[in-house]
Amino acid sequence: MKKKINIKHIVALLSMCILTQACTKLDKNVYSNATYDNFPKTPAQVAAVVAGSYNAMTALGGPGNTFTMNETTTDEMIVPTRGNDWYDSGKWQSYWTHNIRPDDNTINGAWGDLSGGITKCNFVLNLLAGQSNIPPATIAEVKVLRAYYLLMFMDMFGNIPLVTDYNVDPSKVKQTPRADVYAFIESELTANVPLLSTNGQSTDATIYGHINQWGGYMVLAKLYLNAQVYTGTAQWTKAAAAADKVIQSGKYSLQPVMLDNFAVVNDASVENIFVVPFDNTYIHGMTIAWNTLNYNNKLTYNLLGNPNNGWCAPTAFYKSFTDQDARKKMWAIGQQYTSTGDPIPGVVLSPYVLQLSNPADSFKYAGARSIKYYPQTGSGADMSNDGVIFRLADAYLMKAEAEIRAGSPGDALTLVNAIRTRSGVPAWSASNLTLPNLLAERGREMAWEGWRRNDLIRFEVADGIKYYTGPRVPGKTQDASDNHTLILPIPSQQKISNPNLVQNPGYGQ
Amino acid sequence: MQLKNLLKVSCLAIFCFFAVPALAQNKVITGKVTDSHDGSPMPGVSIVAKGSTIGTNTGPDGSFKLSLPATNNTLVVSFIGYAKQEVDITGKTSINIALVGSATALSEVQIVSVGYGSQRRKDVTGAISSISAKDFNQGEATNPLTQLQGKVPGLVITNAGSDPTSTPTVRLRGQTSITGNQNPLVVLDGVLLDDPNQLRNIPPGDIASVDVLKDASAASIYGARGANGVLLVTTKKGREGGVSISYDGYTGIDKQSKYYDLLNRSEYLSAISALPNVTVSTYDKGGNTDWQKAVSRTAYTQSHAVAISGGANGFTYRGSVSYLNQQGVALNNDKNMLGLRFSAEQKALNNKLDINMGITYSRIKQNFNNVNYDWIFNTPPTYPVYNADGSYYSYSLEYNGHNPVQHAVKTLNNSYENLAILYASADYSIIPSLKIGVTGSTNPDHTQNNLFNPSFPTEGTVNNAKSSSYDANSYKGNIHINYDKTFGKHSVSATAVYEYNDYFTNNFTAYGENYLVPENQTDNLGGGNPQKSAITSNKTEYKLISFLARAQYNYDSRFYATASIRRDGSSKFGPNHEWGYFPAMDVAYRLKRDLVKNVEWIDDLKIRAGFGVTGNADAITPYSAIGLYGTGNTYYNPSDNSFPYKPSYQPSQNPNPDLKWERRQGTNVGINFSLFNNRLSGDVDFYNDKTKDLLYLYRVPTPPFLFNTILANVGSLSNKGVDIGLTGQPIIGKSFNWTVSGNITFVKTRITNLAGTYNGFNLAVDQIPLGNALGRGLSATPITYLKPGYAPFVFYLPHYTGVDANGQEQFDGQTVDKYPGGIPPSHYIDPSPKFNYGITNSFNYHNWSFNFFLRGVYGQKAFNNTFLQYETSTRLPSNNTTRAALTNGVKSAPTASDRWLEGASYLRMDNAALGYTFNKIKGINSLRVYVATNNLFVITKYRGLDPEISNAISYNPDPSNATPQNQSYIDNVPYPKTRSFVIGANFSLK
Repeated sequence: MKKKINIKHIVALLSMCILTQACTKLDKNVYSNATYDNFPKTPAQVAAVVAGSYNAMTALGGPGNTFTMNETTTDEMIVPTRGNDWYDSGKWQSYWTHNIRPDDNTINGAWGDLSGGITKCNFVLNLLAGQSNIPPATIAEVKVLRAYYLLMFMDMFGNIPLVTDYNVDPSKVKQTPRADVYAFIESELTANVPLLSTNGQSTDATIYGHINQWGGYMVLAKLYLNAQVYTGTAQWTKAAAAADKVIQSGKYSLQPVMLDNFAVVNDASVENIFVVPFDNTYIHGMTIAWNTLNYNNKLTYNLLGNPNNGWCAPTAFYKSFTDQDARKKMWAIGQQYTSTGDPIPGVVLSPYVLQLSNPADSFKYAGARSIKYYPQTGSGADMSNDGVIFRLADAYLMKAEAEIRAGSPGDALTLVNAIRTRSGVPAWSASNLTLPNLLAERGREMAWEGWRRNDLIRFEVADGIKYYTGPRVPGKTQDASDNHTLILPIPSQQKISNPNLVQNPGYGQ
Repeated sequence: MQLKNLLKVSCLAIFCFFAVPALAQNKVITGKVTDSHDGSPMPGVSIVAKGSTIGTNTGPDGSFKLSLPATNNTLVVSFIGYAKQEVDITGKTSINIALVGSATALSEVQIVSVGYGSQRRKDVTGAISSISAKDFNQGEATNPLTQLQGKVPGLVITNAGSDPTSTPTVRLRGQTSITGNQNPLVVLDGVLLDDPNQLRNIPPGDIASVDVLKDASAASIYGARGANGVLLVTTKKGREGGVSISYDGYTGIDKQSKYYDLLNRSEYLSAISALPNVTVSTYDKGGNTDWQKAVSRTAYTQSHAVAISGGANGFTYRGSVSYLNQQGVALNNDKNMLGLRFSAEQKALNNKLDINMGITYSRIKQNFNNVNYDWIFNTPPTYPVYNADGSYYSYSLEYNGHNPVQHAVKTLNNSYENLAILYASADYSIIPSLKIGVTGSTNPDHTQNNLFNPSFPTEGTVNNAKSSSYDANSYKGNIHINYDKTFGKHSVSATAVYEYNDYFTNNFTAYGENYLVPENQTDNLGGGNPQKSAITSNKTEYKLISFLARAQYNYDSRFYATASIRRDGSSKFGPNHEWGYFPAMDVAYRLKRDLVKNVEWIDDLKIRAGFGVTGNADAITPYSAIGLYGTGNTYYNPSDNSFPYKPSYQPSQNPNPDLKWERRQGTNVGINFSLFNNRLSGDVDFYNDKTKDLLYLYRVPTPPFLFNTILANVGSLSNKGVDIGLTGQPIIGKSFNWTVSGNITFVKTRITNLAGTYNGFNLAVDQIPLGNALGRGLSATPITYLKPGYAPFVFYLPHYTGVDANGQEQFDGQTVDKYPGGIPPSHYIDPSPKFNYGITNSFNYHNWSFNFFLRGVYGQKAFNNTFLQYETSTRLPSNNTTRAALTNGVKSAPTASDRWLEGASYLRMDNAALGYTFNKIKGINSLRVYVATNNLFVITKYRGLDPEISNAISYNPDPSNATPQNQSYIDNVPYPKTRSFVIGANFSLK
């Protein structure tokens, strides 16, 4: 019975089909997505698309590829090979020794994260250009965010493809000289930062996680501070002025306890200017505790799983913190305890990392681990501490440095001492305020915040001291004399994607 | 009414035929003919008194009665597809005859499916291999594919490990794609299965034959889906004449066939006490555990199938019920399948109308393997499985080590699949040479997966649960016209088909964690922490519409020509390439009818040549070609207190309006022969295939592209090879028969190009990394690649040359640290086999039958990633290692090199069976009992558990991640292979 119905049904269907157009119609029915022609329509839908310009920030605010390249190449972070753990084709050692290979996947990831942010901004700007009633501040915000991505991109790779139009022919994309990228970023920022909201998050919750005018001036200050690296011409006065805009805004003050800026719940920080919101359920990416803590620290914080026991502080860097320095609390060191306060047998973290690789079991406990972003009890790898991109202390230190370098120290000593005394270390006298001391102070204050490579290179270029390229314990020798390591290699994957790209000097073809 | 009359007349005629000659006879012999393979009765067998025209055919129960002159003492017994026998009946009045299936390839009347039609074997022009039930592998046949393994030249079926929930991978004539599925299309009784893996839902005992369309010209009739070849599966059907009931069942036991050579408790303790600075007591938890044995068990399998078939008056039917319960050797791992099938055919209106229908329903419940085989290496043998009170001893070791027994037993990870395959067709002969018909089918498939991870003490995890439901369905129909006409010596047939397919999928998943009542497992998903609950759902649809036509011509069964064309349109393809054409052309020349007509030792000889175009669009998802917005990353919007974590909406891919199928075009030249009175027959085929427009996610620059990859048709590869199949019957006797058949498959696959353009933009890669060495500190180590000029999955590895005085591994004579950047030079090494082969021997002696099947691969290499990770003394004291690690003198930490790339050629005693057929038991038509074994032994130098390793994982491109995902030829802590012993019986009743 069923069979006959089936056949009749099909015969009818097929005959109808043959007789009508339907028999060759290959319409694409979309059920679970929105198509370009029907989306976005409402303001909320537009907002959901514009939010995409911030997507790349989750890779930049946590211990992502860009963070890795800016930290593991410096004197404040080392990833030694423990047994065979963290060997990974020698990549972690290569960051420390500056033998970075163009085919490295992390450096390719960094390129992808940053260029992905830029292309998403271009897409959003292209979309907004076709919408009516978009406030100028919205467009300016995307442009300033894009300028931040471009700055980070150019800082790492030098001559980058400067693509600012979504509809560019891909075969025409070539690199732009670093100085021209610098000029573009400068013009974008000076034109757009003044259009941004002047509100701080203490009075306007909606600004949280967005870049406001003060975040914009921080980008500009970073650009000017490193102008000598990018263009050969220093811009210390402009850098100091941009940092001063932030300081003078009155929207921010130093958080009484520095490490509170990185707490699990750090939304209420009065110091943080631009943050990346993370959440252990909804927005993943803040996994730094997982990269650094020993597996047994699971018991310390009742974590869901065993951390990966990798990243740690080089011995000399750890030793640069005095015992009275409240910032030294960022390090987990010595005997480790369970959450109930019992010592974990055999788990004693040592400050000594005197080899790049050591198969001994004891080496698994080598190196101080960072708990600056304090581990979230009961969490998995992803934690809820919001990632800090810019905070007021950085503005203080940038302004102080720029003033000293410009030859008019001004309030430099006051600014630096505000930071030192906050953390319980004695105030400096004017004679202490030397550039090497300032670099060390930046190290202690800004440790593991993703700026160390940028700082070391600036100090090296400005002062002629090999802070970045010099030898380091353990096992790093002086970089090649051509100083090519000051710029990272163009990832070989990207050279395949775009044959127009020219490799940076010193990295082969 | 008419039918009834016809039947009466026929009966009368038959009666007369028997009755009239009977007057002159003076001797009567009765008997029964059975199939030597399984003892089943054979109706319709011709029995002729030698040298006369006196004869009869066996009845439905295989029995016959023949009167013949008293002086005639020899019967000639013959049946299509079986070896002809001459039987001495001197002094006998009854006799039982067992016929042996002959593999005579050119058998005159054997019908071969060619897709949208069938041909007589002798008329086939393409490269088509056929295998029928009598040739299937024996023993534990739990999947129709395992019955075919090693039997068809060119068809390589790999069954890595013995996990009952895994499906074998099938490759016909080499690799055909980079990203897409490479399983051949499966057509079950004319219905194209939506997923080739659904073949496992068909009870193996229901399958009558499988025809394999191997070359591009034969497969071209399936157009954009034919590039991987086609398996045309025909199930058993009812026959007119009474009712037949049969039972087929077996029970088997499986044991793990090989274990790794790990340190036991005392060896481990003495090894770690020899190390400096080790407090031995820290590692001695008082246990004495062989962790490999602790997670393994003796597994039992049982299978039962009952079939009833019969028919009368133009109506035939067959129904079957089958049940399979197969345990894995891993704890808590099994498969349960209940299958119900029914098919029927009604002929009516003077046989002008032919109606067919079939229903297959199967329900499969699987408990997936949860044994973490890494943990058997990571856990020292000094750890106990249980505490003294019988509870599990729980522990956490560094990154990755927990009690594998506890996890395997306590974790719920199962699936329920309900699959139905329904089809109906009606064909009507307008005139005898012209038939028109329609077919409709639908293929609803519902799978529910349940996963519950309890929280384990010492691990600190919270419990979590996830259920996902997957619904797939299709609505398919065709209208077909067949024309078949002979004019003198000219025969012409033509087929035209319009086909419409509409495919749907629906996914739904729900996840939660932190449940108060873990005993509820996945049955109260809403009972956890509401903040952690997550839901996803997704629906897709695509259409495939086709027109196809085929014409065949043959002159005097001497010259043959076939031409076909198919036009496929798919909504998956880019708007610029929605439709494509797939032509094919074949010619054949049957020399036996011509040039070698008078050569007596040649029974038949045919040469063939063909060319065709096929496609593969599997790598294209329904919406790959167009630009879409989808839910993207969550963003924080503090201004909305009620809903601060909002999904962003983001473009999901770079659209590619030029997207189309991969195009495989091939030529095939072959011969079929049958020699020495059909004692030796075979096929030899040479082919040369090129696949162009390979789909791959090519890297593109961002910006201006929105994503750094785009799915595009770029690149090509070639497959060249030879398939040889031979069957010989060295001994054909009254009571003893010996048949041997073998096949060998040579295929050489080369990536020829990985460059091209998209929309004027150059897309190129110099090589594509595919497989990684796995293990701690080994990530970011791609070791296999696609590289132009090389075979797929070519290894690129440093060359190991021994150790230095300190036990440090050296590569090309130097330790790693001597090379700039710590990177020793690497070399390309091709792991692909030189050839695959299989040999079957069958012996019959009176009622006994014995056969065994050897299967092997020659020249293959496998990367022993298990030993790369675990055969190193640097794992001590925290983890266990192998005995060899203590003595091999290597002290350095693991480095991926050709040291671990081992020869993995093998020869396996795949199966062997000994059976006895009783055919004189009252009330039973036939009864056969047998014992069988699978994987009795394997001869190999490979040091891993088994050299047959998975090549299944198809590349699953993830646009956000450059991590390679195809681990072909890389053997990393696999599910063990088992050896099984089976005892079984089958009988039939009339």
